[in-house]
Amino acid sequence: MSSTDQNSPASDLSAPLNKPSDADTSADNESTTHFGYKTIEKDDKISMVAGVFHSVAKQYDVMNDLMSFGIHRLWKRFTIDASGVRPGNKVLDLAGGTGDLTAKFSQLVGREGKVVLADINSSMLNVGRDKLRDKGLVQNIEYVQANAEYLPFEENTFDIVTIAFGLRNVTDKDKALRSIYSVLKPGGRLLVLEFSKPENELLNKAYDFYSFNILPKMGELVAKDGASYQYLAESIRMHPDQETLKGMMENAGFEQTSFKNLTGGVVALHKGYKF
Amino acid sequence: MQPFNNQAVTKFSTQLISRLLLPQVATATLELIINKALALNNNKSLSFSAVAQKTLTLELAELPFTLCFTVNTTPNQTVVIVRSSTECSDCTINTSISTLNKLKANQSLTQLIKQDELDVIGDIKIAQQFANIAQSLEIDWQTELAKHLGDVPTHKLLQFGNKITKSLAATGKQVEADIGEYLVHEKRLVVTSSQLNAFNQKTKDVANKVNSLSARIDKLVANIANK
Repeated sequence: MSSTDQNSPASDLSAPLNKPSDADTSADNESTTHFGYKTIEKDDKISMVAGVFHSVAKQYDVMNDLMSFGIHRLWKRFTIDASGVRPGNKVLDLAGGTGDLTAKFSQLVGREGKVVLADINSSMLNVGRDKLRDKGLVQNIEYVQANAEYLPFEENTFDIVTIAFGLRNVTDKDKALRSIYSVLKPGGRLLVLEFSKPENELLNKAYDFYSFNILPKMGELVAKDGASYQYLAESIRMHPDQETLKGMMENAGFEQTSFKNLTGGVVALHKGYKF
Repeated sequence: MQPFNNQAVTKFSTQLISRLLLPQVATATLELIINKALALNNNKSLSFSAVAQKTLTLELAELPFTLCFTVNTTPNQTVVIVRSSTECSDCTINTSISTLNKLKANQSLTQLIKQDELDVIGDIKIAQQFANIAQSLEIDWQTELAKHLGDVPTHKLLQFGNKITKSLAATGKQVEADIGEYLVHEKRLVVTSSQLNAFNQKTKDVANKVNSLSARIDKLVANIANK
């Protein structure tokens, strides 16, 4: 299990939020995992995360725009730019949700290529499918409801796998990374776009204040679900920081791993190759 | 030290641009404008099949990032995707914005290549096809504006626009004529900087000679007085 203790927001603002202590986080064992700041049985996480996303699916895009002030579109653009996607490529957009990356990949791989939009959550998948069909994107996209830990694809299938804002919700991240490694072709690459740890302490404090005081209220107001957005903020803090995730990717077999901080490290794009 | 400082400044500015995600802002804006223009195109005979899934990359000297244009065509629509980097380009043009303007003014492509103002890597036909498509777009701006503003305001606005354009064109012609007049006639009469320098030098020489002569006269006067 990866350590998450480097991720502790050293902020007074987050003090009343009862983030588990280092001792608690390292107490992660075979049968338990985290759901936000709560320690739960691993078997319960899938259904609890599913509950969150069933609840927010319909307002997901609106909330993304509101929460990030639209910057999530630039982060995703950066991911597309860094992917090196070519016409004819096979791309797996894992935890693809409402299909922002899939839409662009579909246009870039063309008729010869294929994009698989996979998500464990049927509500998110339905919203994504409706959105992409409304955009007229039908010819080279497949939809698969799948758990990232047990990908239902043959080995060496994809040229590119992306997982944007999804890895932190996966119960066993190491298992998911190994599963992704297996379905990538040799020479293929994984791109993980995920919230991370801000580089600057001042930004970290401002980010904590925003995440724990403003975000849940916005969620309550727009999506009528403050608790899900409280989970979002907590799950971001419990997610491994940049170096830890890079190490996890290397442990799963990825080579030439690197990461690039975006918006001061609020988000990081990790990249690794299978050779 | 100078080259190091320049390198450091370049590195810093590139990092800053990257941190602010400016390439992504620029490509998103360009993509929006291009696809809006494509949606407004009235030239229905325009075919994109020759450039379908082809990528044209522009490396402009003025920009610290590249612009990659990829065309995606489906039976329903054609869209252009703009990215700030790609590993696979059918044609890469390395040039500057001023040279692109020369290309618009129909200056020969080969001439610009010979003058090292333009460098093309890959299939030049792709670049030509992209350029042909851009030139063949037919957009009825008046009708499109009228949909948003109404007929009368659009008419007035375009009238005003035409006036401004004519006035700017007339001013441009006047400036051009004045510059021509200056270059052909006045410039010949104007003292050049080298002539001015030579004059200054000669004046200094004369002043020095006068000073030394004056000193010599003073000396002679003193000698005579002593005798």
